[in-house]
Amino acid sequence: MTLGSGGSSVVVPRNFRLLEELERGEKGIGDGTVSYGMDDGDDIYMRSWTGTIIGPHNTVHEGRIYQLKLFCDKDYPEKPPSVRFHSRINMTCVNHETGVVEPKKFGLLANWQREYTMEDILTQLKKEMAAPHNRKLVQPPEGTYF
Amino acid sequence: MANSNLPRRIIKETQRLLSEPAPGISASPSEDNMRYFNVMILGPTQSPYEGTFVQLLIGGVFKLELFLPEEYPMAAPKVRFLTKIYHPNIDKLGRICLDILKDKWSPALQIRTVLLSIQALLSAPNPDDPLSENIAKHWKTNEAEAVETAKEWTRLYASGA
Repeated sequence: MTLGSGGSSVVVPRNFRLLEELERGEKGIGDGTVSYGMDDGDDIYMRSWTGTIIGPHNTVHEGRIYQLKLFCDKDYPEKPPSVRFHSRINMTCVNHETGVVEPKKFGLLANWQREYTMEDILTQLKKEMAAPHNRKLVQPPEGTYF
Repeated sequence: MANSNLPRRIIKETQRLLSEPAPGISASPSEDNMRYFNVMILGPTQSPYEGTFVQLLIGGVFKLELFLPEEYPMAAPKVRFLTKIYHPNIDKLGRICLDILKDKWSPALQIRTVLLSIQALLSAPNPDDPLSENIAKHWKTNEAEAVETAKEWTRLYASGA
């Protein structure tokens, strides 16, 4: 959002915002270590998404590919999507039984703002994997799922 | 208030859309976002998207949504179908392949002209510039059958309910 112009009051409605995110995801993001796409190409309301994070270097996650599920309800992006890991992972902000990213333990979801995107969530989770409290945690076997 | 900076041009266009609607088209802004319109387009007569007459016209009502981005009118409105439709230039998510929504946009065009162009696109599907490859292929190999499918989808999904 640009500041200082009258246009800062323009609110992009949910569906057009998700179409923008879809197009950005299709083009490919940055170095490709995070990506996402729609789960069900027929769902006109674009609710279910799959995200992927490639584990960052110099951590126990290096070389692993993590799959996540994101669900954007009707109140997105006023409210954050629900986010859970499909691939098993041991991480402080992730519920050990369900794989759900717990908003209370993950600032981006707890302090959600309308401008944040699914890309921001995945990028921030990747950073979180490399944080001192996560980078050396013992991990479940690769290729197992919640 | 989210709409306090609404440009005069948008206000004018909106007033005219409401007071002098184009035939077979309605567009009204949502209460909480004056740049976001609920649109209904009646499928044109003689097209596979028209409704059925049973004393009065039933169905053939297509719902769309339209958004005027911050750059409007220097950038085109964003429009998509919410009603499922079998058409070679419209994809599963309702996105529309239409030149004036992309590189042929001009600030001289308006919401009204965009919606009239979409209505015209329903009368003249263009399988040579497809957005849905499968539907375009169907159209080119067996147009009569593709038109039947389009009519079937109109009956199934474009009830206006």
